[in-house]
Amino acid sequence: MERIVLPEIENLHNIDVYIANNGFAAARKALLMSPDDIIDVVKKSGLRGRGGAAFSTGLKWSFMPKSTDKPKYLCINGDESEPGSFKDRQIFEFNPHQLIEGIIITCYAIQAKSAYLYIRGEYHKWVNLMETALETAYARGFVGEEMKKTFNTDFSCNIYIHKGAGAYICGEESSLMNSIEGKRGYPRVKPPFPAQNGLWGNPTTINNVETITNIPPIINKGWEWFSAIGEPKHPGTILFGVSGHVNKPGVYELPSGTLLTDVIYNYAGGVPGNKKIKCVIPGGSSMPPLRGDQLEGIKMDAESLRAAGSAIGTGGIMVMDEDTDLVKVLARIAKFYYHESCGQCTPCREGTGWMLKLLNRIVNGEGSQRDIDLLLSVANNIEGNTVCALGEAAAWPVKFMLMRFRDEFEARVSPHINLEPKNKVHSMRHTVNPIDKVEI
Amino acid sequence: MPKLTIDGKEVEFQPGQTIIQAAATVGIDIPHFCWHPKLSVSGNCRVCLVEIEKMPKLAISCATQAAEGMVVHTNSEKTLAARKAVMEFILINHPLDCPVCDEAGECKLQEYTYKHSIGESRFTEEKQHKEKRVPLGPHVMFDGERCISCSRCIRFCTEVAGDTQLTFVQRGDRVTINTFPGKELDNPYSMNVTDICPVGALTSRDFRFNSRVWDLSATNSICQGCSKGCNIQLWVKANKVLRLTPRHNQEVNSFWMCDEGRLNTFKNINAENRINGPHLKRNGGFTRVSWDEAFSAAISELKGFSREEIAYIGSGFATVEDNYMLAKLAKTVSGTKYIDAVPHLVPGSGDAILRTEDKTPNMLGATLTGMQGGKSIEQILQLVSEHKIRALYVIDEDLVSNYPQFAEAIKKLDLLIVHAVNENATTQIAHIVLPSASYAEKHGTMVNIDGRIQRIRPAVTTIDADRTLDGLSLSRLDKFGTEYDRWGRSDKIDARPTWKIILGILSAFGQRSKITMADELFHEIAENVPAFRGINYDTIGEQGVVLNINKTTSVYGEKL
Amino acid sequence: MEFVFSEENLRKIENILKKYPVKKAAVMPVLYVAQEQNGWISTEVMREVARILEIPEEDVLGVATFYTMYHKKPAGKYHLQVCTNVSCMLRGGYAVYDAVKNKYGLKNGSVTDDGKYSLEEVECMGSCGTAPMIAINEDYFENLTPEQALAIIESMK
Repeated sequence: MERIVLPEIENLHNIDVYIANNGFAAARKALLMSPDDIIDVVKKSGLRGRGGAAFSTGLKWSFMPKSTDKPKYLCINGDESEPGSFKDRQIFEFNPHQLIEGIIITCYAIQAKSAYLYIRGEYHKWVNLMETALETAYARGFVGEEMKKTFNTDFSCNIYIHKGAGAYICGEESSLMNSIEGKRGYPRVKPPFPAQNGLWGNPTTINNVETITNIPPIINKGWEWFSAIGEPKHPGTILFGVSGHVNKPGVYELPSGTLLTDVIYNYAGGVPGNKKIKCVIPGGSSMPPLRGDQLEGIKMDAESLRAAGSAIGTGGIMVMDEDTDLVKVLARIAKFYYHESCGQCTPCREGTGWMLKLLNRIVNGEGSQRDIDLLLSVANNIEGNTVCALGEAAAWPVKFMLMRFRDEFEARVSPHINLEPKNKVHSMRHTVNPIDKVEI
Repeated sequence: MPKLTIDGKEVEFQPGQTIIQAAATVGIDIPHFCWHPKLSVSGNCRVCLVEIEKMPKLAISCATQAAEGMVVHTNSEKTLAARKAVMEFILINHPLDCPVCDEAGECKLQEYTYKHSIGESRFTEEKQHKEKRVPLGPHVMFDGERCISCSRCIRFCTEVAGDTQLTFVQRGDRVTINTFPGKELDNPYSMNVTDICPVGALTSRDFRFNSRVWDLSATNSICQGCSKGCNIQLWVKANKVLRLTPRHNQEVNSFWMCDEGRLNTFKNINAENRINGPHLKRNGGFTRVSWDEAFSAAISELKGFSREEIAYIGSGFATVEDNYMLAKLAKTVSGTKYIDAVPHLVPGSGDAILRTEDKTPNMLGATLTGMQGGKSIEQILQLVSEHKIRALYVIDEDLVSNYPQFAEAIKKLDLLIVHAVNENATTQIAHIVLPSASYAEKHGTMVNIDGRIQRIRPAVTTIDADRTLDGLSLSRLDKFGTEYDRWGRSDKIDARPTWKIILGILSAFGQRSKITMADELFHEIAENVPAFRGINYDTIGEQGVVLNINKTTSVYGEKL
Repeated sequence: MEFVFSEENLRKIENILKKYPVKKAAVMPVLYVAQEQNGWISTEVMREVARILEIPEEDVLGVATFYTMYHKKPAGKYHLQVCTNVSCMLRGGYAVYDAVKNKYGLKNGSVTDDGKYSLEEVECMGSCGTAPMIAINEDYFENLTPEQALAIIESMK
């Protein structure tokens, strides 16, 4: 089976090996094309963003204004902080030059002179690997002013690495831009969208690392080739990171539309002890979880997963066996979003903490039936009302976990309303009839 | 103009306007915490979410631009559900300490909770605790638990005051506001954050715990701190001014005022050293006398000096009416030769925001009504020291303190008549002291540095003015209190507006006038002084009008 | 305590500044340089960073407190970061975390008395496929049992 993003070539991170394997040929070819032709090829290829939203990459590029005096920017999102996602680090480690080549082509296609590759701060090792690769690419004249000579072209671009410092929210594209600008990683209110008003107010495109790494092969082999791989509506291969209760966790590059059960049982080696699967989160922790008894026939592409009641997300597949305490899992997920909520807008800032407190009570056996309904209501109240998608990311797991595994939660709560709330003063009206307290 | 539909109403809008702005033009007030008309859009509170047809999600009306044909629902089921959800979220970690919170009564959160929330809380968890009672600066106290992280204060400091003194720190529900370690919120405009804070998180250290706001009356007036003439409200309880707040006037001060004006221009009104009743110097000491006795004494003394021997000193702290009457008195009794007002320029004290170097609110008004813009004051004092001028009639100025080098000469004057609000070095050596009403106790007009004439109004009663009969603003306590209530008993000062005092003197001189009210006097001024032609108190209204004067050729313009 | 950047780090900062059209954008990388030199981000560090970048000190404070990787108090010589997020949790992340906690008497955010170790329960580090994991300062150690984790920590001198 063909691997596009992580080919099975030893030492591909070495620029000589990369060059020997047709490296930078796509850039050479692309720089002879017109930017519009490149955008057209990428559009026709059907490539869709691998960062979560699965938006058409070519279409996104076409939003960049053609006639503008402002500098244009490309941001490459390697913040990779979604729990269950660990794919981009494979690219940084094993195929950095294809990413660099993809960046060069993209910069040319959208006419950006500067690209910022945002890598999460915890990835010290991979930042270093990427920096080394980038230095080599510069030294060999593939990036920067020298590329004009190398590729015999008028175009040149620079690539800079910006290291995050521990904030999940910076994977949200507008937070990422604020972070590059040296600000708190607060998402921006949209519109305006980045293509109009991005980095420092200039037209900006933001693409995921994996998305960009797909570009050189598409240019080399043509859109027809790419669009024929996997599911026609969501073509190409996808890096599936499989984690949790499987025998062989890891990243598997497979054609889109591969059966979820295939990924888990054939590639990731099945579940230890041959246990049954209770729950699978198919696209990173913010995507709706699926019931283990309903996995048959689910294909791994955006449309199929949506039809199955979830989403492709970042392709991070988290597998939980039959012994898993889903109440604890959900509480842990809630803790993550509570920790990572930036605190800018009200529903997420307040709601994530509320959900966590409710879940912790249920975990500790102090929950009531009412708390389950309340949790659902809080999740619904966050969803759709926030500045950015972290609201949905926090609400969906709670909402869908409660919908699909309600029995697990009901088994953990008392049917009676808990009359000993922690915050007694505030809750007085729920618990004490004030008239009883009046002494005449 | 393009149109959109809001709640079934067709609304015209200017291109670029947001929904919240367009709605406001037709009186639809979409609830909002973080949005402020004079600050950048932040979009964080989410309470202004509205339903827009053909849009998949609700949109915040503060950031969404109005568009032709857009159909907006601010009270649809979906909108109300979101609004209630947001209100509930805002309240879960809020301490709900309205009974001990200064903001209560003028709190956006409190108002919206009544209007837009479900009326009960489903939150039974421990609340997030944060620092309380943090003195952020000399004038502002911060309560982290009340804060709803709307960022208005942060944006104000950066965007209006021009000094990034506040920042969010931490994240999530641990977010709070802070200054940099070792630094304070001490910009000259810092207290505006207490006005724009939609909750009780930022409060005035000066006003804190002084009164419930609903026990105060509010009176529209003009700040006396400098020649900018910022529009303000005077807040009074038990006949004492307890605070000043800025009042919106886009042409003058927008929504703001400086801390100096806010804190340093009202405390003298309540001070112990108020002059109470007219006083004559007899046998080296002051004797309180009746007004009529004071008027007769004044006129009989004044008549004893020729026009070469007497000077009249007006004031930029006094109103147009006061200065006009002083000029009239000078002309009528002595035949004007020496008349001017005292300049109060403090170089370097101005800025590009509001503060000006001229510390009087009405130097231009004084000049337009007969003073010389301070040009001849030094000359007059020189003549005083040469004992050529032997009598001075001074309104609302402390000459001795302002010109210590002439203090001895002033002491040697044969006649010194002083109008003053508070005792000062000049009243000490005066022969006749006439208690003038402060700016908070009279009607009048003042002309600011840009030639805008604006009104001041009485907020504090004197023996001369009754709160109800004279139409002063009433607080709840004023309306419903009785003489047996503590707040109903208030001491009234026996003081009168300067113009009215001079009317009394002129009357004693035999020049009776039919004028009894300030607006009647202004009518006379408008007839006699070209700059004020065609203007009356009604046209000046709440926002003032710009006078038709050539500023560059006025004495004021040249000098100041 | 005064904080000044070393000559070498000033040169580093010069290079960092070349990456961005405005100085403010360099605040995150410059904070990293400062943390490397000083061990943590003190008030003096923030003041110096603000001075060098010609931005308000308050902006530096806001950024330093937003991102978790800037230490706002001194960390241990070895900063132990244990991931307990779902993928690690499913494969024994909490066992590793508890083992480290108990062995050194640490709790989340605390430092041992000798200043050698500090502990942080961290969110997903991207080691889901090699869980559970522990990061010591900048290095990842993956596929661990609690015993292996403790052995690695002990080997740190």
